[in-house]
Amino acid sequence: MIGWLRHHRHALVTTLRRLGTQPFTTLLTALAMGVAISLPSGLYLGLGNLARVASDLPAQPEISLFLNVGASAEQKQAIAARLKQPDIEQARYVPRDQALATLSASQDLADITAGLTENPLPDAWIVRPQASSREALVRLSDSLTKLPGVAETHLDSQWAERLQAALDIGRTVVWVLGGLFAIALIAISGNAIRAQVLARRDEILVSRLIGATDWHIRRPFLYLGALQGLLGGLAAGGVLAIAGTILQAPVEHLAGLYGSTFHLLPPNGTEIAAVLGLTTLFGWLGAWLSVTRALHQVEAAR
Amino acid sequence: MISFSQVTKRYPGGHEALSGVSLAIEQGELVFLTGHSGAGKSTLLKLIAAIERPTSGVVSVSGQNISRLSRRAVPYLRRNIGLVFQDHKLLFDRSVIDNVVLPLDIAGFDRRESLKRARAVIDKVGLLNREKAHPVSLSGGEQQRLCIARALVSRPALLLADEPTGNLDAGYAADIMAMFRDFHQVGTTLVIATHDERAITALGGRTLHLDHGRIGEVPA
Repeated sequence: MIGWLRHHRHALVTTLRRLGTQPFTTLLTALAMGVAISLPSGLYLGLGNLARVASDLPAQPEISLFLNVGASAEQKQAIAARLKQPDIEQARYVPRDQALATLSASQDLADITAGLTENPLPDAWIVRPQASSREALVRLSDSLTKLPGVAETHLDSQWAERLQAALDIGRTVVWVLGGLFAIALIAISGNAIRAQVLARRDEILVSRLIGATDWHIRRPFLYLGALQGLLGGLAAGGVLAIAGTILQAPVEHLAGLYGSTFHLLPPNGTEIAAVLGLTTLFGWLGAWLSVTRALHQVEAAR
Repeated sequence: MISFSQVTKRYPGGHEALSGVSLAIEQGELVFLTGHSGAGKSTLLKLIAAIERPTSGVVSVSGQNISRLSRRAVPYLRRNIGLVFQDHKLLFDRSVIDNVVLPLDIAGFDRRESLKRARAVIDKVGLLNREKAHPVSLSGGEQQRLCIARALVSRPALLLADEPTGNLDAGYAADIMAMFRDFHQVGTTLVIATHDERAITALGGRTLHLDHGRIGEVPA
């Protein structure tokens, strides 16, 4: 056990020393990884902020209820009674004459309405339901459609659905990109480690000859891969921090134009830890693949 | 300690380095391997250290069958064997003491204890004042002695040396052979491949002669 710990400490010290002796290579590899990782994680952050915008907007779904032109007075009364029930927060009646008057008042449409011989608009109710969930809204909307005298209802929550759908696509893109860049990360790490293994060919051969196990030989390279990955993750954090600082002012300006105090939020601790953990893991994985392959090649070429 | 039973080693390409070799070496013996170059001396040593595997026959070292030894077990076998190479196989990016301490690092010894042992061995091979030097600045004889120090630092029961005096002048060669005699006297088993006749007569011991992959005992 003590020997094992000693091996690990020795490997870690060796690794740190190697990284220190090649600051330029280390920096370049870390930067390549950092830029690669910053793309999916940046997109993830952007989406998170966008989702926050979406949830901040006043969510007031409305149901427009259009009556049959020939609806009877009883039917209209029944509908009015139905809309006084507690699942309706507020309901506003818009008679067809008023609707036409509103339409005519708007300058763009005045020409069109002036040419009409009769009013084509139905009587309508603008209903604001108590419920806000998508399912409840659809259920209410359907039940209102079935009332006698109702021609059709129109559930006005489409913009929210579309935004949600777009965000969902964005999240999928984050995962796909994340997967691709994880592969890129493994490749970058594997390549860096392969160069290291080849540079230390003699050491590996001699170590094998005097009794080093495969694990003993792998260990410093695995540490190297993991540390490179961690540095890559930190570099990604740096890239995102710089991008965030640059974007902060224009975003706040835009939000100000909408009368909002919105500002960009940085990632939380869990997200930072997850990114650093994953980059470390993928750096290690690339090193493992590379060193295992190279070990066999080095020995075969002996 | 070492036994070969009808061992044949054929390299890819068809060259047969050893043909039906049988031999036995007891613990504490000093054995010279002689023969022209290409007779199979190096191959025989490599088979003992599991650097090569026999094509047929059984090689057994300390009761372990080398042909059946798994890749995982090989390092532990080698930790009990000191290897002296004709081309030294030193690491040129580290100092004399770091080269010698390498086997102990690999075996997981305490660093301070390792350095103490390494210094003792370096002193024995007469390189103590070159402890911090890099191998590149050492002469051929000094490099060979460094290689021997590295082979001995883990106090192996068996020392295999391939042409340890091959490229050295007579003075250095005598020094090194004298060192081997000391190790033999403290009970180390030594197998030395050489064609240095003077060394063999000076040290005595058993001589095995290899000729085109076949072995014969040379009467002392």
